[in-house]
Order: sequence, then structure tokens, then C-alpha cells
Amino acid sequence: MRKLYFIVLAILFFLSFSVLYGQSTEEFFERNCFSCHTIGGGRLTGPDLKNVDQRKDTAWLEKFILNPEVILRGGDPYAAKLLKEARGVRMTRVAGLTSGLVKNLLKFIKEESAKEKTRFAKSALKERPLTPEDIVLGRQFFLGTLPLTNKGPACLGCHSIAGEGFFGGGNLGPDLTSVIGRLGGKTALMAWLSNPSSATMSPIYRKQPLDEEEILPLVAFFKSKSEKNASYMEVHDFNFMIFGFIGLILVLLIFDLLWGKRLRSVREKLVKGELE
Amino acid sequence: MDQFNEIINTFFFIILPYLSIFTFLLVSIYRYRSRSFVYSSLSSQFLENRQHFWGMVPFHYGILTILAGHLVWFLFPKTTLLWNSVPLRLYIMEVSVFIFGLITFTGLINIIIRRRSDKKTRVITTTTDWIVLILLTIQIISGLYVAFFYRWGSSWFASSMSPYLHSIFKFNPDLAFISSMPFMVKLHIISAFSIILLFPFTRLVHVLVVPNPYLWRKPQVVRWNWDRKKIRDIENNSI
Repeated sequence: MRKLYFIVLAILFFLSFSVLYGQSTEEFFERNCFSCHTIGGGRLTGPDLKNVDQRKDTAWLEKFILNPEVILRGGDPYAAKLLKEARGVRMTRVAGLTSGLVKNLLKFIKEESAKEKTRFAKSALKERPLTPEDIVLGRQFFLGTLPLTNKGPACLGCHSIAGEGFFGGGNLGPDLTSVIGRLGGKTALMAWLSNPSSATMSPIYRKQPLDEEEILPLVAFFKSKSEKNASYMEVHDFNFMIFGFIGLILVLLIFDLLWGKRLRSVREKLVKGELE
Repeated sequence: MDQFNEIINTFFFIILPYLSIFTFLLVSIYRYRSRSFVYSSLSSQFLENRQHFWGMVPFHYGILTILAGHLVWFLFPKTTLLWNSVPLRLYIMEVSVFIFGLITFTGLINIIIRRRSDKKTRVITTTTDWIVLILLTIQIISGLYVAFFYRWGSSWFASSMSPYLHSIFKFNPDLAFISSMPFMVKLHIISAFSIILLFPFTRLVHVLVVPNPYLWRKPQVVRWNWDRKKIRDIENNSI
């Protein structure tokens, strides 16, 4: 039996290590970088990367891309400048990034910078003026009452926004009331939503991306929220906690009413009778 | 630092789960076949009954509901998200789960107090029992913490945890979904797999041999069919 256990375990370990699938540098850039950076299309949430190698030396860039947080925390003056320009939005470490891949990425950016026309200059999303109907639609997408085309989860599961819901939205992710300002405006937010790059959202929405006709209404909704609610009172935590404790007390009362005497009434009499 | 993180993640979210699941399966069967008479959670109901009720009843109804919830989110993530697509329904689910989490915790606290304070039950509480209680405490506190501070768990369980757990069961583990989850969420996962790992070595095996007919059989009152006073006197005299 013991032998079998170790054999099975060994086989399973072997099976459990996944095979890393390859992806081209271009694909990697599109999936992980393009949501915040263009090459020659101007600033989104992060800076335009055209000719980035002429602004800063390669060694620094490699180190920064590999782990931005370390450089940011280290008090590097250039990183601090970048952070200020991005209005405090920190570049996250991209999962699965290796130093070899970073070298390839820098090479790729250099090649694309040299081109007169690159598809990474501008997001493929079509822009159009936002309408009041968009705000209504966007709210439905946010809450989940209108399902997303690719069946991605609704925003409310992880995000709050001012003035929605008795218990509010989720708080695994950040509050989205002023997200449009944080990420740097309509175009930047659209680019971000078309390819969410945060570590938690990226694996989900890579498989179930938001549709163009969902992104625009959502942006309209976020825009209207940021304009209306500069500040608001948060009472959701309190509501949730109070409901929890009221429920707890009610259920304990029910237990007592139902079974409080189940174990005691008959036997106590019997035991007493025996003792007397 | 990153490499260290990767090793930690691989250990806790790939190696530990497989180790747990297969230890659970193999040792549970082995123990049932070789030592079936100790395949239970040695009842202490005879020793103390009043506190027992306020520990056992809330704990078991609580944990069964919570486990059922997790199981549904794990097996039917799409249905869960569909249910949650109306905020009111989401709130009903989340508040109910939170209430039952609090009920489980109330039960667990009573169990621990009883095991510590009642002399007779303290004697029969083994080290493994304490380990189980400590693990359950970590599990429930982290669960309540996550339910309150990282709402709404049922939704993101369906969209992030389910794909991770499914990837484990498909023998193609994908840590992308959970590698950046907050510490308390990770702690909840690690302690869950630790409980599964230790399951076959502890009193938890009673979960597999629940005497379901107790639910509908007639109540029984157990009485001793001898003069207990006499026996007590003999025992006391002999000492």
C-alpha cells in the first residue's frame, strides 16, 4: 500500500507540471503592454514607448520592466518622475516575464519605433461620442443585469462605485468611481478595458474579452460617475456587518426553539427520576 | 524575490494540493480497510451535553452550508455568476453565507471552550484534535475575513478560484488566476488543503461515515442498567 502511494504520487507530480506554451513577443506586447502603452500614438495610462531606448539606457529599462515595484520603492528619481506623470498609477509586474523576454520586448519596441506605421500606434477600438443611453447600458453591464457578450463576469463582483447597491459593489478590486481620471481619460480607459492588464483581471478577460460595444457604454458610465460623485459616504461595510450579526442571532434563536429541549427534556426527567 | 515567490506559489498551490488530494484518497481508504473501528470522531456527548449542543449544532449546520456553497461555486461557476447577475440575488447569497460563517465560528468557539474547560472532555482530547481545531480556526477566521474585506467572494470565486481549482483537477495547474490574490485569500486556500491533507489522520474521517439514518430513526435514551452508586462506592473504596 505504501509503495503504491509513493508511485501514484510520483506519477502525479510528473503530470502536474504544466507545459509552458510559447507565444511571440508581438503577442506578448499586445496582451500585456498595449493596454497602457502605445508605440508612437501618444500617452495612454503609461508613456508612449516610441524610441524609449533613446530616453533611458537599456540596462535600466530591463531592470524596470522586469520588476517595476523594486525600482519604484528604491527611490529612483527617473521612476519617481514616471510615476508622477502617470498620476500615481504604478506599473505592475507582468506575470511570466523573464529577462530573455524583456530583451526581446525592447528589441521589438525598437523595431516598431523605426516603422512609419505600426498597429500599436493606436488602439483598434473605434471611438465615437458617448450618449446618455450609453450611461444606462454601461450601468447594466457594471451591475451584471445585462450579460456581457463573451460571458465575462460583471464588474460589481469585485468593484464598488459610488451610489450603487445597498451593500455596494465588491472590494477585492479598487473602487471605480474615479477610475477614468486615474487611468488618464477616455482613450486610456478604453485601451485598458480592451485588454485589462491587472494580474487578477488579465487571465479572466483574456479568455472572455469585453466587446467594443460594451467598453464604450462602460466608459460612459464611469465618466458620469466621476463627474457626479467627487466624494461620498461609504456605509456598505456597516450594513453588511449588521445584517450578518442580526442573521446570526436569529438562526441561533431558531436552533434553540427547535432543538433547545431536544436533548434535555426527556432525559433530564429520567435521570432525575433515577436519582430520587 | 520573484523566484522565491514562484517557489512558494508552486509549493503551496501546486504541490500541496496534489499531496493533499492523493493523501486524502489513499490514506482514507487504507485506514478504513485496516482500522475501521477507530474510523469515527470519538463522541464526547455523554461526558458533557449542555455546552456540546451550542458547539456541535451551530458548527455543523454552519459548516455544511458553507461547504455546500463552496461546492456549488466550484462545480457550477457559470450558474453562480448568472445567479449573481441581479445584485439583490448576489446580496442574498453573500449575506446568507456570511451569516452561516458566523454561525460556524460561534460553534467552533464553543467547541474550543468546552474542550478546554470541561475536565472530562479535556482528558479525551488528543493532540491531533487540537491540531484540527487550530486549523479550523485559521480556516474560518480567514474565510470570514475574506467574505467581509474582499467582497463579493461568490462572484470572484466563480471567475478566479474555480478556473484555478479546475486546472488542478485537469492536471494542468494554472496559477495565473490566484498568484496575485491577497494574503488572506491565499491563507484560506493553504489551510483548506492542509485540512484535506490531515483529514485521513484525524477525527475528521467521521465526515465519510456519517450515520445518516440518525436523521430519521427514533430517538434513543441510553441508561445504565446497573446501580451506579454501588459501583462508584466500590471504586472509591478500592482507591
